[in-house]
Amino acid sequence: MEVIEWIRFLSGALFLLCGLLIFLIEMVGVFRFKYVLNRMHAAAMGDTLGIASSLIGLMIISGWNFTSLKLFCIIVFLWFSSPTSSHLIARLEVATDENRNEHYKTINLDERAKENRESEEGRKEEADRESEEGRKEEADRESEVRRKKEESRENTEGRKSDGRRENASRGNGKADRADGK
Amino acid sequence: MGKGIPGLDQAYHVLFTVVLVILAVMIILCLIRAIIGPRIADRIVATNMMGTIVMVIIATLAIMLKEGYLVDICIIYAMISFLAVIVLTKVYMGVYREKKEEEGDGSH
Repeated sequence: MEVIEWIRFLSGALFLLCGLLIFLIEMVGVFRFKYVLNRMHAAAMGDTLGIASSLIGLMIISGWNFTSLKLFCIIVFLWFSSPTSSHLIARLEVATDENRNEHYKTINLDERAKENRESEEGRKEEADRESEEGRKEEADRESEVRRKKEESRENTEGRKSDGRRENASRGNGKADRADGK
Repeated sequence: MGKGIPGLDQAYHVLFTVVLVILAVMIILCLIRAIIGPRIADRIVATNMMGTIVMVIIATLAIMLKEGYLVDICIIYAMISFLAVIVLTKVYMGVYREKKEEEGDGSH
């Protein structure tokens, strides 16, 4: 009987000291983190695991009676209330922070998804355009050869027609791009 | 607890005293955090932590003094601490909105 009592004391003390250790870690986290939302991360640990561990230790010491039931009720209540209060505090902080860009970056997920879709489409378009440009360059080279032949034939009139032809080819290129889109 | 076994009563007493002293030191640290916390949310978080640690202290005292009814106080403390957080966040949100509206009226 004596041994059982000692075992109960030791296990209860172990749980209680575990809870204290978790409270200590919580305290270190709260003092070392730089921003409220990070600190809340550390503080939520004590609200759930720390108090649960300490009260379980006290339940073991207390034994099988109504006091243990009440302690268990406290644990259950805190497990429901702590996330709620954390959520409220985080919302307060995010809503009232004037210079939030110094602390964290906000991402609009809808816009991000749209950008991703657009960039994928853009990549496909670019690939199409490159193949078209390759074809166009070949055509340009052929036309240049033809132009040089014409230039050799008629010097003065050839240049004017060159300008006209270049304009025409550029216009064709734009039209091609528009078709590609 | 104890049950007349020599040494065990003393061991319980030492354990509870050590736990209570450590928790008291932690409450002072929480108070420091609440005072130096640069933002309001910091102070609310520190107050919440203080509430949690006070709950552990009350429960420990209930077991140490063999007074079961102290645990009821602990339950009520948990509820009131939860309520305090909700009310504080709502109140500060309202204050912030009012300030914003006043600034908006001033600029236009």
